[in-house]
Amino acid sequence: MLGRRGSLRYLAVPPFLWLILLFVAPLLLAVAISLRPDSGPINFSRPWQLSTLQYQTIIDSPSWLRLLLVSAGMAFIVATVATLLAYPIAYFLAFRARERAGLYLVLLLVPSTASFLLRVMAWKLLLGSDGAINSFLIWIGVIREPIGLLLYSQAAVILTLIYVWIPFAALPIYAALQRVNRSHLEAAADLGSGPWTRFLRVTVPLSLPGVLATFFMVFIPTVGEYVTPSLVGGTGGIMFGNLIQDFFTRAGNWSLGSAMAVIMLALTLVLVAIALRVVNLRRALA
Amino acid sequence: MPTHLSRARTLVAVLMTSAVVLAGCSAPSLSVLEWSGYDKVDFWTDFHTASPNTKVKFEFGSSDADILGKFEAGYGSTDIVHFYTGWQQFYVDEGLVQPIDTSKLKNWDKVPDSFKKMGQINGKQYFLPWDWGFTSILYNTDKVKTPITSWSALFDPAYAGHISMWDDGPGAVTVSAYIHGWDETKITPDQLATIEKEWTAQKPLNKTYWVSEFPDLCNGIASGDVWVAYDWQGCYAQTLYDGKVPVAYANPKEGRNSWVGLYGISSKTSNYELALQFLDDKLATLSCTNAVTQFYYGCANQDVMKAVTDPVLIKAFSLDDPAILQHTNFTPLVTSAQRTAWTEMWARVKAATP
Repeated sequence: MLGRRGSLRYLAVPPFLWLILLFVAPLLLAVAISLRPDSGPINFSRPWQLSTLQYQTIIDSPSWLRLLLVSAGMAFIVATVATLLAYPIAYFLAFRARERAGLYLVLLLVPSTASFLLRVMAWKLLLGSDGAINSFLIWIGVIREPIGLLLYSQAAVILTLIYVWIPFAALPIYAALQRVNRSHLEAAADLGSGPWTRFLRVTVPLSLPGVLATFFMVFIPTVGEYVTPSLVGGTGGIMFGNLIQDFFTRAGNWSLGSAMAVIMLALTLVLVAIALRVVNLRRALA
Repeated sequence: MPTHLSRARTLVAVLMTSAVVLAGCSAPSLSVLEWSGYDKVDFWTDFHTASPNTKVKFEFGSSDADILGKFEAGYGSTDIVHFYTGWQQFYVDEGLVQPIDTSKLKNWDKVPDSFKKMGQINGKQYFLPWDWGFTSILYNTDKVKTPITSWSALFDPAYAGHISMWDDGPGAVTVSAYIHGWDETKITPDQLATIEKEWTAQKPLNKTYWVSEFPDLCNGIASGDVWVAYDWQGCYAQTLYDGKVPVAYANPKEGRNSWVGLYGISSKTSNYELALQFLDDKLATLSCTNAVTQFYYGCANQDVMKAVTDPVLIKAFSLDDPAILQHTNFTPLVTSAQRTAWTEMWARVKAATP
């Protein structure tokens, strides 16, 4: 008969295998493919040659590396703004909504039940030359000609991504705020702290893990985003993910696409590691 | 007794169900690697009518490179592949396709010799031509008052913010080669550097790079956002039919480009005869007519093209201009290395800040 701990260990096997097969193995495969010199689709029957040619090609193309940094910058803005906007929503749900929190949470997530593509296309309708915003501004006489930069720009990509992420961004912060021990706030109040002091010195520090989880939950996938920029980005809103997609689907150059994906992953991991160091430092200081 | 009867009925039911299932399993099937939209029954209706029990399974690719990659990845499981001129040599060199026995095709004599040649490699008919069209510049005549006569209109600052180029490196090289009078198949590294520089400078003039002709470009033209665009004739015909935006399709002095869609049969297929029948029926009158009238793409069956009377389609295919092919450049074969260099160049253009 298995003990309780033994049973739990066996329960962990399926998700562990799932991760190994569908997460770790494809990642290793991408790294392996990136080390091939072939430029076309991968033909596994051909001899496997190790080469750093693809990485050399990337290093020789500074515009690609610059675009990676631009994409990281865009992801930083999206993650920061989405986190800042999601915080008050999560705060309201955790401290003010009381028994209606569940209902509001469902309402918050209702737009997400529509297809991601549909929601992005809706922004195209809003921001386009003949879209709702331009039409309204022309109607009230603020402008005479449509503002072309609303759509097909870096700003349009950032705006759309913030909108897409906000409902999800509120969830980890909400979970963190729910875990805040209310007696800490009462103790602070008893010691004479005002509402803002309690918020800044008790609530915010205790919810920081949720805030950081939210930030990285948004930041990491946004660095490699390609659907939104291809729909609303135009030539100025292209992101690094678009180049990776191009090399896989349009150029059929899997090796170069894989090398770009590996470099993007490495940059993201470095940034996450730096942030985790910062969090640990904060805890040490506390 | 009732128990025995019940058992007998159950047995009969099981046997009948098994027979139906087995019949379903043994029904002939065909796998086609296609472009999205081409799976519509209208475009293979003659085959569907002739072989209603054959199950045709479609898989899709988003570009010629993607289709080649998927065909190689699923090699052996796909019977038929559809791609465009410029890529024939790869399929033959890699041994992915086998020659087509044209003596078994009823509709082969309806295909012009010039089209047949596009599907020939090393003197053998490896591919069957089906859809075709032009590439030129589509422009809004309300916004562009002077008729466009050169591919260099795509670089004209007068149309800044209202140009839309196809998101494709080889397509960009083709345009530059026409403008400079260079041989597209012999682009040197220096010429490629010039091309990259020119397209990087051209980047801010674009509203967007389009990927899909109908949803991307046609909407841009219809909304008035795009005035000048690299285009196949499909969007031209669509806009003419819509009648909301006045448009023209340029005859550049450097010549239009023309492309042909080709079907190949996998060298590993076990359904060769069925695949032949499918391709033959693609060339039949109804399937070809539907491609012309619904997709606004030409079809290799010249009888169908001769029967076109719709003025919009006559304009779209320039059927009223007997000399059109004399100033049209057909997409040449290029090597894998050239394509790699051109797509890398285009990725640098897309990533660049002019």
